[in-house]
Amino acid sequence: MRFPIALACALALATTGAMPAQAHHSMAMFDQAREVTVTGTVKEFQWTNPHSYIQMMAPETDGAKVVEWSFELGAPMYLYARGWRPKTLKAGDKISVRFYPLRNGQPGGMVVDIVTADGRKLGQKA
Amino acid sequence: MRLLAASGAALLILIGATGATAQENAQQARTEAFAKLPYWPGYWVSEQQAGTTIGGLPPEVLAARERGEPITVGFMKLNGRAAPWNEEGQRRQAARAQVVDRKAKGWGFPMMMNAATPIQVLITPEEVLIINSYNETRHIYTDGRPMPPLDDLWPTVAGTSIGHWEGDVLVIDTIQVKNPNLYFHGAPPLSEDAHYHERMWLDGDVLRSEITIEDPVTLAMPWKVDIAWVREEGFDRMVQIDWDNDRTGSDGAYNTIEPTTVTEDGE
Repeated sequence: MRFPIALACALALATTGAMPAQAHHSMAMFDQAREVTVTGTVKEFQWTNPHSYIQMMAPETDGAKVVEWSFELGAPMYLYARGWRPKTLKAGDKISVRFYPLRNGQPGGMVVDIVTADGRKLGQKA
Repeated sequence: MRLLAASGAALLILIGATGATAQENAQQARTEAFAKLPYWPGYWVSEQQAGTTIGGLPPEVLAARERGEPITVGFMKLNGRAAPWNEEGQRRQAARAQVVDRKAKGWGFPMMMNAATPIQVLITPEEVLIINSYNETRHIYTDGRPMPPLDDLWPTVAGTSIGHWEGDVLVIDTIQVKNPNLYFHGAPPLSEDAHYHERMWLDGDVLRSEITIEDPVTLAMPWKVDIAWVREEGFDRMVQIDWDNDRTGSDGAYNTIEPTTVTEDGE
């Protein structure tokens, strides 16, 4: 386990409903000690408040069945400040998403960074 | 008769000229008043949130993680975790901790002063506007008016504010704020009797505020919070975006991402 103290802190904060990060909810829902990468096809990019989301069709991590993933990003104004725009991603785009997975095992997580099919990294500074 | 008409015309011209002069004087006075006011241009984000990643993690969280240290920085001091609650305040806090699946409507006051959104401060001689990117605006009247009579007030999300300048410090009084926790689940459960005192000023390239909250219903003593904002790079305008896609739900143990309700055709 790479970040045991941070994880313990996140779990402790989760029990009190605290919000250690900038989002409008606790980040304890994401397992930030584990990074996972999934490659798939963008179904929809939701440029919305209080969070933006990427809906992506990709295989489950432990199987071949293609499912719909939900990846959470920050609010549009923060993404905008990092160089993102509503058309940064569009339906049909092939991308690889590195993310902190949801603790409950649902297909989704918090985005760490994204690499496009042509190798461009859509990270902090797109 | 001809003399009378001429006199009347002259009087009208004089009145017109006087009116124009009065307007010009008022314009001149306002221009001079404007010139004396501070100017805080830019889009301000809370100091600890500057440089937040696209996923929503502030740099200090990542740095603490790399150091293997616990996260000690308070990113939203106004959430009330450290407030001096009295018995009623503690009861409200305990009740708040039991609710895990509430949806928020926005940030509201006072959280908007410490939230994950840039704010803009527009200063005019008559009022100061504090605006965030969630269609939330505070009107702080600085034209010398007193607080409206209580009969003219009712609790709102932003409350009612008057202010004045002490040198370059904006002093704000705000009352009649709805329980902030009813609007945003991460906000403190203060009562509608709370009185918010703020002092805001520009300190070099940092915008600062001291907020003191008194609430006879929920606080044992005045609760003081210091907030600092810095200009975040990348913002060139304030874009208002509705809070209309809150997909944070709960699976009972943790929050989670709810399935999307937005379809590909936008319906």
